[in-house]
Amino acid sequence: MLLEAQGIVKTFGQLRAVDQARLALEQYELIGLIGPNGAGKSTFFNCLAGNATPDEGRIRFRDTDITGLPPHDRARLGLARTFQVPIVFEGMTVRETVMVGAFLRHSHRAAAAAKADEMLEFTGLTAQANVKAASLGTPGRKRLEIARALATEPTLLLLDEALAGLTSAEVEVAIDLLRRIHQRGITLIVVEHIMEVIHRLTQRVIVFHQGRVIAEGTPAEVTADPDVIEAYLGRRGHRRHG
Amino acid sequence: MRIAPGSLAAAAILLLLAVAPVATGNPFYQHIAALVVLAAISASAWNVIGGYAGQVSFGHAVYFGTGAYASLLTFDKLGLPPIAGAPLGVLASFVLSVVIGLPSFRLRGHYFSMATIAVAALAQVLVTNWGFVGGAIGLMGPASPRSIADLLFRSALPYYAIFLGVLAVLLACTWLMQRGRTGFYLRALGSGEQAAASLGVPVRRYKLYALLLSGAFTSLAGSLYAVFVGFIDPDSGFGILISVNMVVMSALGGAGTLFGPLVGAIILVPLEEITNAWFGGSGTGTAYVAYGIVIMIIARFAPGGLAQLWQLFAWRRRRAA
Repeated sequence: MLLEAQGIVKTFGQLRAVDQARLALEQYELIGLIGPNGAGKSTFFNCLAGNATPDEGRIRFRDTDITGLPPHDRARLGLARTFQVPIVFEGMTVRETVMVGAFLRHSHRAAAAAKADEMLEFTGLTAQANVKAASLGTPGRKRLEIARALATEPTLLLLDEALAGLTSAEVEVAIDLLRRIHQRGITLIVVEHIMEVIHRLTQRVIVFHQGRVIAEGTPAEVTADPDVIEAYLGRRGHRRHG
Repeated sequence: MRIAPGSLAAAAILLLLAVAPVATGNPFYQHIAALVVLAAISASAWNVIGGYAGQVSFGHAVYFGTGAYASLLTFDKLGLPPIAGAPLGVLASFVLSVVIGLPSFRLRGHYFSMATIAVAALAQVLVTNWGFVGGAIGLMGPASPRSIADLLFRSALPYYAIFLGVLAVLLACTWLMQRGRTGFYLRALGSGEQAAASLGVPVRRYKLYALLLSGAFTSLAGSLYAVFVGFIDPDSGFGILISVNMVVMSALGGAGTLFGPLVGAIILVPLEEITNAWFGGSGTGTAYVAYGIVIMIIARFAPGGLAQLWQLFAWRRRRAA
């Protein structure tokens, strides 16, 4: 088991944003984490990445309990993430931005630069290597997020809505990139709310609703699940429960 | 290796700096030149935490004052040459950095700046009311040289040479830092702490490294100031204007660039000295009116300082070529 989260609870005041959520992941898997807006998937994601500490529950990564571990220590263990809204390092060029990630495993500047160049090539950013990161548009920034996370040489990469805000042509390029990342042997958790992307990308999906895991299975299975349909489309004809 | 045109130009400025005051032979200019380099040391030291790491401290006078008082206390209490207090000041600055850094690094942006102002203001009040360190009156250095170690010279040139040496060491440290992992980590955490942490940057540890380096050299600048001027009081050691000077010089020249603070000092220190000379005692503080105008112009037209303008200029020229 590469990553295992059990009984994760995270509350904000009265709101139980994540309520007894769980997740188990084998190495080399590519899974989707979906749910309507406000389902708690981002909070759960932040608990996995270390940007939020769960109130209850435990998270194990590569046989280490990482529940209270800060993000930079998780990165060192091989757990990387991207952000839903890309965070640009102002003043840095694209290459320098990726070098920040590369410095995690390479203390020498030349080695970090070589690693960064490799990741720029892989993500198709080589032509923009020397421009300021802030001058990139949304698709470029999203790719840069992925490039610098990959430069930390992760075992597991958590992608928070890496495809949101892209046009359909850009989504095709991005899906291809995610597949190639997976082919490199990197385990992926992809948070999305676009069902279609999940359908094409993953073998296994976990569906969140109101902070709970309400379904799990292949994309075809979960989209046929009445609970999932209800979560996405609202109640239809089940008045006797309400 | 690629050498940016900016660093070549800056190296030329540095060389000019080294030679010009000797060439003029005018003691007034030599005195100003020494003050320029001294100001450049503290502004460049501030730049490590305030520029590269983006943690805008408005309380660096606390280090400057510590260094200044360390030298003159060493003379006053122990009868040793004032410069012997410089290492003590540096040691004290390390303690201060840990004491200030650990709690205040939880704060971000303006809150960090406000906390640093509070610390410096508190230090000033404490020193003003503490008789042992001279209270409101302050401390004097040796009146006449007992040995060469007292570093009392009639001409400003020997001071100028010492200051230039210290500045060169500081800029070399900063350059090495800027090229390596630490520089990248500081710049990254300065513009996005969460993103930096997600890439494996231990944010608070690196902020502390930056503050330790920054504080040590600011303290050293304070010690050198006390040796040079031979007098220190709470206002000239811990006053808010001491902190503001470092910020404004760095911002004018370009915070987070190697030579920005030096360029800022080259412009602002003569400005202050010249206005003082023009207006005499009644005009003290006129320079701060000019400072205010400078701050407004930077904020409006070039938040990256003159270094940004230079980059823009170099970029246009490259495009034209």
